Amino acid sequence: MGRNRKWIQTAILLAIVIVGAVTLAGGLFKGNEPPKVGARAPDFSLSGLDGKTHRLSDFRGKLVILNFWGTFCPPCKAEMPDLEAAYRKWQGDDVVILGVNLNESHVTVSSFVDQLGITFPILLDSQDEIRKKYGVMNFPTTFFIGRDGVIAVKQEGQMEPGFIEQNIKNLLGKGQP
Amino acid sequence: MSFESFSSASLLAAFIVYNLAFLVFVLSILGKRWSRRDPSAHTRRWGWFAFLLAAAGFVCHLLFFFTRWYGSGHIPTSNMYEFMTFLAMMIMFAFIIVYLIYRIPVIGVFALPVAVIIIAYASVFPSEAQPLIPALQSYWLKIHVTTAAAGEAFFAVGFAGGLMHLLRTVEYKSDSRKAKREQQGVEFTLFVIVMIIAFVASTFLFHASGYEARFSTQITQTDKAGNEQTVDQTTDYVLPPIVKPHGSTIVSMKPFLGIDKPLFEAPAWMNGVNAGRKLNTVIWSVILGLVLYAVLRLVARRRLGEAIQPILNGMDPEDLDEISYRAIAIGYPVFTLGALIFAMIWASEAWGRFWGWDPKEVWALITWLFYAAYLHLRLSRGWQGKPSSWMSVIGFLVVMFTLIGVNLVIAGLHSYAGV
Amino acid sequence: MRIENTKCECGHQNYAGTVLCESCGKPLYDDHGSEPLEMRYDGVARRSQRGNPTWLDRIWNFFSSVKIAIYLILITLAASVLGTVYPQENTFINLDPSTYYKQTYGTTGEIYYLLGLSHTFDSWWYRLLLFMIGTSLVICSLDRVLPLYRALNKQQIRKHPGFLSRQKVTLTCDIAEPGDQTSQEQWVQTMASVLRKRHYRVHTDGTALMAEKYRFSRWGPYINHIGLIIFLLAALARSIPGWHMDQYMGFIEGQTLKIPNTPYYLKNEKFTVDFYKPEEMSDKFRQRDLIVPKMYETQAVLYQCTSRCGTADPVLKEVARHPIRVNDPLNYHGFMAYQFDYKETPRLISVTPSLRNKQTGEVYGSIELDMNNPQKSYQAGPYRLELKSYFPDFGLDEHGQPMTKSNEPKAPAFIFTITGPGMEKGQPYLYFPRMIDKDTYRQDDVNGAVGQLLDLSVGSMEGVKIAQYTSYLNIRVDKALPYIWFGAAVSMIGLVMGFYWQHRRVWLRVDDGKLLLGAHTNKNWFGLRKEVAAALGKAGIEADPKTLETGRKTL
Repeated sequence: MGRNRKWIQTAILLAIVIVGAVTLAGGLFKGNEPPKVGARAPDFSLSGLDGKTHRLSDFRGKLVILNFWGTFCPPCKAEMPDLEAAYRKWQGDDVVILGVNLNESHVTVSSFVDQLGITFPILLDSQDEIRKKYGVMNFPTTFFIGRDGVIAVKQEGQMEPGFIEQNIKNLLGKGQP
Repeated sequence: MSFESFSSASLLAAFIVYNLAFLVFVLSILGKRWSRRDPSAHTRRWGWFAFLLAAAGFVCHLLFFFTRWYGSGHIPTSNMYEFMTFLAMMIMFAFIIVYLIYRIPVIGVFALPVAVIIIAYASVFPSEAQPLIPALQSYWLKIHVTTAAAGEAFFAVGFAGGLMHLLRTVEYKSDSRKAKREQQGVEFTLFVIVMIIAFVASTFLFHASGYEARFSTQITQTDKAGNEQTVDQTTDYVLPPIVKPHGSTIVSMKPFLGIDKPLFEAPAWMNGVNAGRKLNTVIWSVILGLVLYAVLRLVARRRLGEAIQPILNGMDPEDLDEISYRAIAIGYPVFTLGALIFAMIWASEAWGRFWGWDPKEVWALITWLFYAAYLHLRLSRGWQGKPSSWMSVIGFLVVMFTLIGVNLVIAGLHSYAGV
Repeated sequence: MRIENTKCECGHQNYAGTVLCESCGKPLYDDHGSEPLEMRYDGVARRSQRGNPTWLDRIWNFFSSVKIAIYLILITLAASVLGTVYPQENTFINLDPSTYYKQTYGTTGEIYYLLGLSHTFDSWWYRLLLFMIGTSLVICSLDRVLPLYRALNKQQIRKHPGFLSRQKVTLTCDIAEPGDQTSQEQWVQTMASVLRKRHYRVHTDGTALMAEKYRFSRWGPYINHIGLIIFLLAALARSIPGWHMDQYMGFIEGQTLKIPNTPYYLKNEKFTVDFYKPEEMSDKFRQRDLIVPKMYETQAVLYQCTSRCGTADPVLKEVARHPIRVNDPLNYHGFMAYQFDYKETPRLISVTPSLRNKQTGEVYGSIELDMNNPQKSYQAGPYRLELKSYFPDFGLDEHGQPMTKSNEPKAPAFIFTITGPGMEKGQPYLYFPRMIDKDTYRQDDVNGAVGQLLDLSVGSMEGVKIAQYTSYLNIRVDKALPYIWFGAAVSMIGLVMGFYWQHRRVWLRVDDGKLLLGAHTNKNWFGLRKEVAAALGKAGIEADPKTLETGRKTL
């Protein structure tokens, strides 16, 4: 009878420990928080200007530069040509740039893209879902995501070409898949 | 006569009768000395008469409540005035129940003033029956507010019992460190009560005499679109301004005691909308409290606790302790049901979440946790008696803060009051 | 196992740590004292009191302590107070916590933020406190309820004299001649029937009697604790993925939006708001010239996406429809949409201009231009209009080039290429739906020859669709909710059971004409004394409630 008691006691304490772990885990790992540098970039799928659906995970293994922009945002427009140049230069080295447009009409985006001759994929966040997911409050905001899918750099505001270049070089140097 | 004026008259009648009942309760205890009858018969007779008066007052109070309900079309618990008068009514209800169980007139001496003070305080708030914003239109409102107030009423009676116990058991003749600390504690509690009475009385009198002062401050607001606007915000004072809001200009100010300008300006870091007015209220309360306390001390010629203690002679301290505990034990489930559970149901219906850590909700939880600690401490022998009475006094302070402090000091979804 | 002499003189073998013999009630320690007995848990040995604790026992003992529980309650209380000093982060919609506290409240605000108090109720240590309270609830209850249940289940009728005389309510007096067995037994029977009338369950054994009522009240606290445990577990369950979602979304009239992380889309078909009329308000309110909403409602339609979800044109199926009002949400299988707020945000939705020949007056046809996502090509009679550029909020940048200042249709501009009779090679045409923009940017001048020939404009307000309001809805999923209510209900039942009834027991025995009576209750001694005195009175013994109580401090 005494030994039975001990087993029950142990079982109860074990159950409590598990519940405790769940309690703390729930507090520390919130799925709804916007990702910070060092965290895994949340996957998503969006329609592109080309009409096809693209997922972030399609580009796993490559260096992804995720740029949130809009045609109403002068600094976004200013850095576009620099991003395009970087794309052309580094495309062969498994670098891809994804421009996520903030809820503008197809016409507006396509006419702008054609005007500037942008060739990197442009995705349309028509439901404002991905902006919220990534916690983007200011434009432009750019995430540099390493080959391993982890956010290495988050930059708010317009980027200088040197800045883009430096980060690409850094991230290609380290973080082999 | 309209429903509204009839209900106001009923409340006034209740207020007067409660005061009479209080006086007769006091008489039933003090008059023993001069009565030709046997003292306990005197107390029993006059105590019963006082109780009947209190009950009559309660009937008037009920009349006030129901005629106001009928007249305005919704249950009168939706603003500070209505809620406070309802709370006073519930306290009288709790008092009546506890009195019928224990039949001790001394309870009346302490419980009735609580109800009277709360009614007086309520009268300061705007009383107009207001149209309800959609968030308040639900029958769960009625259920939550009335049940919570009923629970709090029992805590108020518990507070009265605890205070009585302390006044009965603190040794004023002793010089020991412990006794001295207790005397100071009791005296401070009485001072706070005196301060509240002074504040309520002065606000009531100034309000009744039509005093007002108005200030205007320029506030820059940024709305959701990011546009900045400068608006003129006016603050109305009921009490003469000793302190005016920071950075404000006088719009109008009635002179008081020959002074027609505020004496000071609130410091810059007090930039909340009503911070200046609240600071002014606090300053007035402290000053008047000190004045009234000094007057009472002069009249009594000793500490107030010492002066009141004789009323309680002849009472069994353990009975007082038990009254306090019993009231809280009756009130605790009611409070849990009303202030927590019904509140959660209503919040879930109105705002889609049963608990949002809103300051008012958190303070209801704090009150609940406090009384839970109280009840658990009572299991331990060393905690019955004085420590328990202290907790019942502090507990009531927590209740009052939840009702008044959160509304007036901390902002949140709950702040419907306008003072 | 350590051997301890726990055998009582009545012959019963008790567990180590037993205070009062389980059988006859004789105090096993302190048997020559005169203080009232420690009657907690009926004097039974509890798990946590046994000797020689292992580490397992130590953890158990820690959490089964009421002192620790009280500390936990008070610490949680203090932490909660701190969490109300400044507004918490979860009330912010657009503010940045890392700067807000410092900016608004100065140094104290900065300290508040750095200490993590700006999200007190969300912090790991607050959750840990609640978890520890939950643990304490489990272990405290288990530690006590099982022995108590055992003790109350097997109670003896004839108790040891030491047990009876040291109860908190006790009476010793002569009631009959020592030898008169019959009258003694008779008296016991009289007492039994008096007690039965007062709802006691009475067991007699010759000259001894045990009366008990409202035992269920003892289980009250434990049922309350169980309820609280269920409540806490349900609250914890909300962190299971898919069990809980809570977000706010603004829906412009006519707009359909996807609800993130769900397959649902919600459309605000129409929004209506009713204001209190001046007659319905009191004088003071009228003076303040406030506009107070009486009722506002969103006619909402819920769609579920069956395929191509997350893309620009998903396939939707209507699953629910409901007028959402403040206390009346849309509820579809646990998916809830509550009316939270609204704003007056007049916004152009679409315009339907007609293409007209300026010279002949012939109307070729009309086209519908959506402000949100206009089509790329339109046909108006023989003319084809290809939309080349669209600027929702038209302006000119520093180089004088067309651009848009925002993505809201505040000053929309369309640039078409028109092909058709009279213009085989596509001609550019600039169109401003708003007259004021048309004049500001001199549309007719810009359009040149084409502008002389064709006119694209809206004839009347009928061709203009405007949304007046944006409705803010709170979207929620909360699968744990039923369990929350269940836990709360159980807890209430326990509280009511425990506080509104008391467990009372009366034991007595008559030996040699002498009555020895003892009584016990878990709360409300005042009531017990009154009742015992009244019962004794009915059985012929005068007793004042006050004299029944031992151990009272004198006045």
